[in-house]
Amino acid sequence: MRGARSSGWLIAVPMTALALATVYPMLFTTNVAMKTQREYILDRFALSRSLRWDNVTTAWTNGGMARYFVNSLIIVVAAVALLLLLGSMAGFALSHIRFRGSQALFLGILAALFIPFQVIMVPLARTMADSGLIDTYPGLILAYVAQFLPFTIYLMTSYYSGIPREIVDAARIDGNSLYGVYRRIMVPLGRPALLSIGILDALFCWNDVLIALLMMPSAEHRTLMVGVTTLRGQYSNDIPSFAAGVLIAAVPVLIVYLIFQRQIADAITAGSTKG
Amino acid sequence: MPSVRPASAGRTDIAAVPPVALMGPGQAAPRRRRRGHDHLAPYALLAPALLVIVMFRLWPLILGVNFSFTGDGDRNGTPVGLSNYTELFDDPVFRTALRNVGLLVLLLPVAVAIPGLLATFIFLRVPGHRVFRNVYFFPAVLSPVIIGAIFNLLLAADGPLNAGLQRIGLGSVDWLGEPKLAIFTVVAVHIWATFGMALVVFLAGFATLDTTLLDAARADGASTAQVIWHVIIPGLSRTIQFVFVTTMIGMLTSMFGLLFVMTAGGPGGSTYLPEYYIWIQQGQMNRPALASAASTVLFLVMLVVGLAQIGLLRRGRRED
Repeated sequence: MRGARSSGWLIAVPMTALALATVYPMLFTTNVAMKTQREYILDRFALSRSLRWDNVTTAWTNGGMARYFVNSLIIVVAAVALLLLLGSMAGFALSHIRFRGSQALFLGILAALFIPFQVIMVPLARTMADSGLIDTYPGLILAYVAQFLPFTIYLMTSYYSGIPREIVDAARIDGNSLYGVYRRIMVPLGRPALLSIGILDALFCWNDVLIALLMMPSAEHRTLMVGVTTLRGQYSNDIPSFAAGVLIAAVPVLIVYLIFQRQIADAITAGSTKG
Repeated sequence: MPSVRPASAGRTDIAAVPPVALMGPGQAAPRRRRRGHDHLAPYALLAPALLVIVMFRLWPLILGVNFSFTGDGDRNGTPVGLSNYTELFDDPVFRTALRNVGLLVLLLPVAVAIPGLLATFIFLRVPGHRVFRNVYFFPAVLSPVIIGAIFNLLLAADGPLNAGLQRIGLGSVDWLGEPKLAIFTVVAVHIWATFGMALVVFLAGFATLDTTLLDAARADGASTAQVIWHVIIPGLSRTIQFVFVTTMIGMLTSMFGLLFVMTAGGPGGSTYLPEYYIWIQQGQMNRPALASAASTVLFLVMLVVGLAQIGLLRRGRRED
């Protein structure tokens, strides 16, 4: 912005206001979660003077967030592990091996990318119910893998396409089979992509509510996000405990965001620049 | 290509041929050793992924379209022709849902322009651009459910936003209770929650922009507005196209969490979107066939909107 210094500062003012508007809701919620009910009713905005963790423990134990948290953790870890395994295998095959039908398969997977969950959810629920997978961990894990696999394969394929053929070539000359190349070359070299795509997949699964609602009807199988939707009814008169429940669900994501910000942005932009 | 291929592979056995670049000259010996099981390798590597995608994505799509032409309840499984579709378009709630889709399409340019403009200023190094970039992206990682829950607090009749409005002398507003207003409130929250995603995509697009053009325009004395209009927008047309399509897909398929938590389709069914209608018909009303018909309509809407946008933007680019 050479020669436009003053106008730069002029634009920075509304942009700062917007930045505050971006973080304020989360700060407000955190503050409310630390208040007593009385404090909240008397003044919504004042900083909490008591800084109590009681609300968090209430939501964690009485509110059932502990159980939902564990459910979510199990499901997300399993789904992401499967996504990365299947995604990297397929990505390797599509990027470095020439075989009959490879182009058609890649296009088919791309097409699957554009089928929204809402369009297939009715028959999917029926298929899952017929095969006894509804309301089970494997059922929801499979639903997540199916939902995010085309995206994962697409990104892994484009990442692996950037690995020079010569590296694969050299491994083959050393007598590796294609499976050996996958294990010894593709998995280790794919680590940065596996990390960023894995984090993005984990966020998608962790944040989902529609698929979880559909696949896990019973209360003891609720994921954390479905748990959040039940907080309102549970704590309609206890706003601080409600805010504490929301905070419990948000904190893991905030931590992941603070640590892996760059990887998340990388994974998102990888999809856009290649497309 | 064929000249690099070893004679032994022939034309009947393309699958057995490793990628051209994998074959260094004179590597006959190791190739013989691995040919046996390697020609199945790509299929073995792809099989689990394909199985999942075909079974749980492609097959349900066909099943669902087929399902939408059958009946619910007593007539479960029997063909009913187009009666689900006629019922659908007679249902005022579904019509509202479609009208809201129209509204989303109209608001789309706003949802794209906001991150686009912000990205432009960040790219032009407005003071504090690094901080802005990181802060703006933050809500994009939060679940719609969490965002909805937080905004329920903020927008409540006695919530902070209204308290603030009253403090500066404006009356309080029933953000989610007013049928005409509620859908705009929800869309605004959705844009607040997702503009960071588009912003990051825009910034990646800027990174590929030819800066010599920018410098040239500057040297010729172009204003910031002229630079945006004549250099940045044409240079970013692919990115803009991508953001348009993904933002539209996001509006049509990822507002369920917000609707579920903030309005439950109300007040008076005014905030229904097709995805919420599908959920209600499938889960609450026990009308899976009708829900399937709505799914098929949603799919067609997305297809049409997506293709139309790509078409429009393509034409726009050609005129440049």
